[in-house]
Amino acid sequence: MQGTRHRIEALQKAIARIDRRHESFARHACLHADGGEGVFNVGSIDAAFKDGFPVFALHEVRCSLTRDIGAATGFVAGLMAGCMKHLKGRIVWICDPACRLDGGRLFPAGLAMFGLDPARLLLVCPTDLKSALWASDEAAKCGDLAGVVFQVKGNPACFDMTATRRLMLKAQHNGLFICILRQGGGEEANAAATRWHVQAQPSASDPQLEKGIGAMRLDLALERNRNGHTGHWTIAWNQLEHGFEHVPTDIVDRPAASFDRPNGAPQMGQVVALERAS
Amino acid sequence: MNGRPDAPPIAAIAKVKNAMRLVAVDGRGQKTGLQVEQTLSDARALCPDLEVFDHDERADAALLEAVAAWCDRYTPLVALERLPQTVAGSCHGLFLDISGCAHLFGGEEAMLDDVTARLRIGGLLAKVAVADTPGAAWAVARYGDRPVVPAGGNEKALLDLPLACLRLETQTLDILRKLGLRTVGCIAGLPRAPLAARFGSGLLLRLDQALGRVEEAISPRLPVPELSSERIFGEPISLQEDIERTAAQLAGNLRQRLDARQLGARQLELKLFRVDGHVTTIAVRAASPVYHAERIVMLFRERIAGFHDDLDAGFGFDLIRLNIVESEDRGQEQADLGGNAGKDHGAAFSGLVDKLGARLGTDRVQRFVAADTHIPERSYGLVAQAAAGGAAADQAAFWRETDAVEDRGAPQVITRPIVLFERPEPVEAVAEVPDGPPIRFRWRRTLYQITRSEGPERIACEWWRDGRSGHSRDYFRVEDEEGHRFWIFRHGLFGRETHTPQWFMHGLFA
Repeated sequence: MQGTRHRIEALQKAIARIDRRHESFARHACLHADGGEGVFNVGSIDAAFKDGFPVFALHEVRCSLTRDIGAATGFVAGLMAGCMKHLKGRIVWICDPACRLDGGRLFPAGLAMFGLDPARLLLVCPTDLKSALWASDEAAKCGDLAGVVFQVKGNPACFDMTATRRLMLKAQHNGLFICILRQGGGEEANAAATRWHVQAQPSASDPQLEKGIGAMRLDLALERNRNGHTGHWTIAWNQLEHGFEHVPTDIVDRPAASFDRPNGAPQMGQVVALERAS
Repeated sequence: MNGRPDAPPIAAIAKVKNAMRLVAVDGRGQKTGLQVEQTLSDARALCPDLEVFDHDERADAALLEAVAAWCDRYTPLVALERLPQTVAGSCHGLFLDISGCAHLFGGEEAMLDDVTARLRIGGLLAKVAVADTPGAAWAVARYGDRPVVPAGGNEKALLDLPLACLRLETQTLDILRKLGLRTVGCIAGLPRAPLAARFGSGLLLRLDQALGRVEEAISPRLPVPELSSERIFGEPISLQEDIERTAAQLAGNLRQRLDARQLGARQLELKLFRVDGHVTTIAVRAASPVYHAERIVMLFRERIAGFHDDLDAGFGFDLIRLNIVESEDRGQEQADLGGNAGKDHGAAFSGLVDKLGARLGTDRVQRFVAADTHIPERSYGLVAQAAAGGAAADQAAFWRETDAVEDRGAPQVITRPIVLFERPEPVEAVAEVPDGPPIRFRWRRTLYQITRSEGPERIACEWWRDGRSGHSRDYFRVEDEEGHRFWIFRHGLFGRETHTPQWFMHGLFA
């Protein structure tokens, strides 16, 4: 009996070694000891994850239309500035050259207002997607970073399952938060632990100003979750506490997105990014 | 032109003094009696089968530049001859300061033979001379018969040479000739004061420079590297692995000298001298002082990998040199009590910056810096992370808004977008009143109906940059029915600055 248990323990260790996850587990445990609560501080979102939000993994945030890139970028910035305050260190932001054509550029003053120090950012703007992929791979290897954001446009073929799995393994191994920020892209099978779909939502009313713009709200759909269930929330950014909060909505004004079904009904038509008028 | 044994003479022509004249003539042409500055028709009369082509000054300069780059193998101090056209005998030449270098090639005469032999293989006929001063070498190369002037033998070597060897203006030479002064010896013994009174100080200066009475400095085309290490191969190498291994060895050679001075390299270059005379220079820049051979080789490996086409090795490289162009004091590595060298805190990060910078180009790995202006697109800049003082500047990274976040608490309202368009995009907007917020607008062919808006926030133009006619901007934060939040502005104040203000989209809020 004793021998069997030893063997099982040995096997478990071997599996952990194969998974190369022990290191990220260790950092993960630290994180929970620090924060105490879930990463989001929003009960219903944190409850979607069985063992808490896996910070040190590959995540994907996408918006289906280019005009939503502000909302998606804001969600990533909020996540890094508000939800992962304890992750100090540099953030490497890698930008696919195609994004810069119509997606604009990060504005440091706006980032600073989210509480994300622009001086922490290292911006990498390669000339082609292949070098961008290489750069994200290299950044993922580096241990003393807080996170890596890889902004990509659409669903390029070379950023496939293999490439994402490589990033995922590195994220777990080196204890890094890696995020794919997909601008105007569709759903795609990849190795990311979670996939979020972000859309802008009309903001809360401003009590002091008629027609004023209040706290910004986002429509957040957790389309894919490897370790828990999916969900759909409306969240607001709390500028005073620098964190997200849940906004309960009574009226469902849109048809439910296909995120929680295995095979969503195909969308009618096709979303096309139009060229700039100017 | 040695490769055309049976061909007719050849000359380069250009339009000089309103006529087509010869600019350069080959050896056979000179024997036929052709001269530089002869008109083409005269030349054709002398030599009916003369072949001519257009003179290309730029190609000449490029060739000279390439030869100068190749001459780096002999000495780091290579200067191009820059004499005005009016000086007699001015043509494309190079000065090499070989002080302290000649012994590496077996003495001055052996060095000269090496230079001429190698250049002849490359198809170039060179006239060379070694002397104590640039002036004497210039003179002997053109008019002397023995190319090596022994140390201290300037005067003896020059006295019998024609006066043209002193780099004088053609006019001065004509006058001197009329006076019967033909050789350097004629004027070297004359009293100086009358000469200076008659011909100005230029003549005496050139004389003194040639004889070594006045110091003359050459201006090298490249700055001298701080440290340099090289390796010559008997058998040329061409494999990339061999090049990397050599670079590692050279970096290892430099390590001791860097250690002794407590320096690290910030900017390095690897010079690959190809057998056929072509020189490839690979320059890299490090984010922090580097001195480990592996780090240095890594930089070059990534740089080579980042080239769009492979390194053209041709028939191989026979000399490889590693130069440290810029160095910087490095911080002391502190060892702990166990004797292990302390792990530098930012080592992994600066390694990453180096690697990315080497492969993608240092200007593609950037960080934000604040600028002191209110115009949004000018309020920040992107500078290369590896730029000078990278590590030190990080510590003092200055960001006003960040200070604000930490000192006075976060701003209550987010007034700046998170995504900014570098060039504001024009939109067609409809406003209720000419100076009010828009009620709907069309951007990128989509119509947006605005439900909420805040503003205006007025940002005046910078008249010291844009001129007095620049327009102010009225920024509005607007939100459409679906919840997209935009930062748009009206360019120009209605009534005061313009009657048809234009609207622009400038950013997206979260």
